[in-house]
Amino acid sequence: MVAVTASGRPVQWRRIWLLAGPEQTRMLRAMLFRLMQSFALGLGFAATLWAIRDLADGREITQIWLWQITGLAALSLAGQLGFSFLAVSDAWQASFRVCGTVRLALLDRLLALPLGYHLGRERGDLVNLMSTDVDALGTFLSDGLGRVVQAFGLPLAILVFMAAIDVRLALAMALTIAIGVPVLAQTSHKLSGLGLRRQSQQAETSARVVEFVVGQPVLRAFGRQAEGTARFQGAVDGLYAISVRLVRALVAPVMVFVAILMLGIPVTMLAIAWTLGGLEAGTVLTALILAYAIYAPIINLVSAMEMMRIAEASLLRMDAVFDQPVPAPASPTRSPEGFALSVDDVSFAYDGKTAVLRDLSFEVPERSMVAIVGPSGSGKSTLLNLIAHFWDPDTGTISIGGVPLPELPPGVPMDQISMVSQDVALFSGSVFDNIAIGRHGATRQEVAAAARAAQADGFITALPRGYDTELGESGARLSGGERQRIAIARAILKDAPIVLLDEATAAIDPINERALQEALIALVLDRTLIVVAHKLNTIAAADRIFVLDRGTIVEQGSHTELVAQQGLYARLHARKVEAEGWTLSS
Amino acid sequence: MARRHADNRRTAPSDPDMAAALRILRPHLGPALGPLTFSIVAAVAYTLLELAPIWVTLWLVTLTVRAEAAPGDFVAGAVLLAVTIPLCYTLYGLSTEKSHVAAFRMIRSLRLRIAEHLTHLPLGQVTDLSSGASRKLMIDEPEKLELVVAHALPEGVGAVLMWMVVTVWLFATDWLMALATVLLVPVALLAMGLAIRRSVPNMAAFQDANLHMNGVLAEFLRGITAIKVYHRAGPAIARTATAIRDFAQLQSDWGRQFVPLGGTFYALILANITVILPVGLWSLHAGWIDLTEFLLFVILGGNYGAPLMRLFNLFGQMAHISVAVTNIDHVLSSQRQPDTGADLPLRGHEVRFDAVSFGYGEDGDTAALRDVSFTAPGAGMTALIGPSGAGKSTVAALLARFYDPWSGRITIGGQDIAAMGQTQLMETVSFVFQDTFLFRGTIAEALRFARQDASHADLEAAARAARAYDFITALPDGFDTMIGDGSGILSGGERQRLAIARAILKDAPVLVLDEATAFADPDNEAEIQKAISALARGKTVVVVAHRLHTITRADRIIVLDGGRCVAQGRHEELIAQDGLYARMWRDYSATRSARLQTTAPAQEAV
Repeated sequence: MVAVTASGRPVQWRRIWLLAGPEQTRMLRAMLFRLMQSFALGLGFAATLWAIRDLADGREITQIWLWQITGLAALSLAGQLGFSFLAVSDAWQASFRVCGTVRLALLDRLLALPLGYHLGRERGDLVNLMSTDVDALGTFLSDGLGRVVQAFGLPLAILVFMAAIDVRLALAMALTIAIGVPVLAQTSHKLSGLGLRRQSQQAETSARVVEFVVGQPVLRAFGRQAEGTARFQGAVDGLYAISVRLVRALVAPVMVFVAILMLGIPVTMLAIAWTLGGLEAGTVLTALILAYAIYAPIINLVSAMEMMRIAEASLLRMDAVFDQPVPAPASPTRSPEGFALSVDDVSFAYDGKTAVLRDLSFEVPERSMVAIVGPSGSGKSTLLNLIAHFWDPDTGTISIGGVPLPELPPGVPMDQISMVSQDVALFSGSVFDNIAIGRHGATRQEVAAAARAAQADGFITALPRGYDTELGESGARLSGGERQRIAIARAILKDAPIVLLDEATAAIDPINERALQEALIALVLDRTLIVVAHKLNTIAAADRIFVLDRGTIVEQGSHTELVAQQGLYARLHARKVEAEGWTLSS
Repeated sequence: MARRHADNRRTAPSDPDMAAALRILRPHLGPALGPLTFSIVAAVAYTLLELAPIWVTLWLVTLTVRAEAAPGDFVAGAVLLAVTIPLCYTLYGLSTEKSHVAAFRMIRSLRLRIAEHLTHLPLGQVTDLSSGASRKLMIDEPEKLELVVAHALPEGVGAVLMWMVVTVWLFATDWLMALATVLLVPVALLAMGLAIRRSVPNMAAFQDANLHMNGVLAEFLRGITAIKVYHRAGPAIARTATAIRDFAQLQSDWGRQFVPLGGTFYALILANITVILPVGLWSLHAGWIDLTEFLLFVILGGNYGAPLMRLFNLFGQMAHISVAVTNIDHVLSSQRQPDTGADLPLRGHEVRFDAVSFGYGEDGDTAALRDVSFTAPGAGMTALIGPSGAGKSTVAALLARFYDPWSGRITIGGQDIAAMGQTQLMETVSFVFQDTFLFRGTIAEALRFARQDASHADLEAAARAARAYDFITALPDGFDTMIGDGSGILSGGERQRLAIARAILKDAPVLVLDEATAFADPDNEAEIQKAISALARGKTVVVVAHRLHTITRADRIIVLDGGRCVAQGRHEELIAQDGLYARMWRDYSATRSARLQTTAPAQEAV
């Protein structure tokens, strides 16, 4: 009965309602059918009470009356079965379709978001969002909504019925509902807040529990298992304490709600005692029976509320995606002239506060090679990501062929740029698919030619099914160098005039590395190249080298000029030379 | 340093074990017995108290029918209920609370058990767990088990008891009417059973479609950067959208088959008033029961199905949870790594691999190493070389006992490492890890992890040797700066040097390192090299190397290819042999002089 999810801020139910579109009618109809189902059950109660009142008045049981009552009972049963069938059918169908629509809407939105949003994101979170979270929403739509209607349907019928007989008794019955339901609503609100607090406390403690697993190698290496276990025990005890405290806080209000509701029974009895003189026996019996029957459905609100809280937590996570700003395409658009690249007064901060790049300006003429070097954290990779239009700069503009990136026709920036980064995104599908994505409608010959140029043909044909070998989670595993050569083949096939290259930092074996190097040499020929370099020897031939430090260009020039300047580049270079001369010994 | 090969050993359970949740929890009953007993007793008490309103109502109904009811009776009934109702729900609350406490205690005990088991698994198996899988194992799955105990108890016990009391009461009053009251229950269960049977064939297709959709979604999200960069959104999204639509369609079809009978269950189980009423009137007419008895059935029978529905939902939940705790089941059923606990006398620190074979899979045919034999001289440097997939990292992992070999022996100083206690092995061997994990605490604490009794002077000396002293003292609190996972205070290269300082403090005679991971930060390469040099001095070093110039002075180079040792010797000897090593050296030299150029033919063939 008690489970909590957090919802700190208002949830966008409206968006779901709008997304539901044509299913809105079906959802409303489902609720209406639920109501009718409750009323059909109410009919059964009404018939029962009718019989009881008459019997209490001493009415003789006649055949015809028996058949009448039996008929009413049959009608009630048929109504319940029929309306329940209609309600469940509609609710389920609507819920399935709305889930599908919401998934498609999320998909659209994820695709429209800037690439930067997807970099370094836990994919598992998004997969969960699109499967589990949408399912939670579906459960509330198919089940929870109906329960809410049922919680109020029968009690409403009962109150109307009772009021028709005796308003005072109806009011007595309604009294604890009027007190209890607001209490539950209030509680539900408070529980959400509590859930939020628990989530943050729990996140902290959970992190320490997981730490135990991740830290195992260190713990064992230094023989500190005991200490690790002690830390772990502390964290687990912490989780235990939080959970117990939370349950205490949760159980009490729910029980108060139920108790308040059920106290309606003695309240009704008191009301009967108060008015007993003027009441017929039938009315008293009716009131007693109804007082006992009216509260049970309302208690079910507790579980409906729980479903709603879970759905709201899921909605909140969906909102986080829906509320991400989507860059608006500029209109009108212009086509670039040539593919020189210019970076003009660009500043950028990931969080809007701490600038990673500051007032950066430089030009890259067509078919020239520019290298960017600098210590770690100087903003090199960020700069590449901005040029690839993963993000928009906070201020300043980046232009291709004289046209700022946002003003290029949709797709053009991506067509003009090939990016080869350290982190190669291969997707499930064959090797062929993974290369052919570089050019629409590429033939097998074209793909094979690109693979040959990228020094990838050899290892691909050695795979069990050659170009048709499946990659990805369940498919063949490629080494880092091989993955990169696939990415290079892709870029060669794409044949974009601008190449952005983020040189790999991880050491790979010499055979792979040489193949990779040759693949790169084939790729960059005759293109505009911007390379983030870690091994300074590869960029000795660059037309221009920019030295980046803390987000600004501190030096620029050719390799020879920079070495002569005796500045940061010269220092970095000296250290590289030193590192390359190092040999390990014991 | 252990090779990642995460998801290859998980075999899908052929038959979902519906009682897995109970099986996993059973050994942890001990610490929960107290609250559990309390919870059950309270559940019995609150269920009996829940009968009070029924009983009072029936009593007043009887009085009214006999025209004997006085206002005082109603007041008396109201007063009684005004006491029992709050008491009932207080007990319900206490029962729920205690059952949760019991559940949390069992989960705490389970988590400690998983942790204890983990510390005895081969390290490689532990490092194979992604942080996501660790989270599932330690947090999410145990949390799910909470429901089994916390809800099944107070609600289950209450529901069963209520159902039994009411059933006995009904049958004791009048068997025909009792039958009329319960009539719809078997009908409802039958409907549900038929509904499940009817939809089972589709259920499989439905689950497949669900898996397929999640797979396609995951794949779409995995490739989304490539899809965007090559703006191939069209085909990719069409495939994903189709999977989503197909799933919705299958859901609809499945729903259409299930709903006519399955939906009926929920309506039927609450509808028994419609049977009680006519049968009751006919019985009255026949004189088999009197009005009071009829009223009893109306009041008592009207809610007959409610506890059964609760039980039905609980069973559903339990089966659902049981199939969702696979990670726990998998880990707890993994074989522990034997630990002799022995402290054996070592003759020097020479490392020997003697016909070692090993593979990551459980089947014997995917060996990563085959019959590998070599000797790494004590206090000398041995390099492992080879193309990717040759088995270099595996050799390093086996030496640290991340895994145990399938066959063959690994010895240090003449003793089999499997015969040494874990403690001795760990005192003998140091590694420079792939990902330097730092527990939360100060830098000094992180360093003392290696040697608890190290003086501050020792820490400073180790930090100096590891080229970490300067950046540590530049931090606001120096050695007392708080660091920890994700604090972002230290860069990768700095964390690496801290790890090296720690290894220097530990001063184990054998050092294993993987160049690819030891130098993951190219911008700080020179600093890390100096740190490594300090660490390696006087040790038996086994290094997985890629940059061949770093190992030209190695005492022995082991060349691996396809899991076999194909050559060994010193640099000059191997060059002279003109085999794989010589080819790698040529490639390496060519790469070092390669230049990227956009304008001219890049370079002539070598």
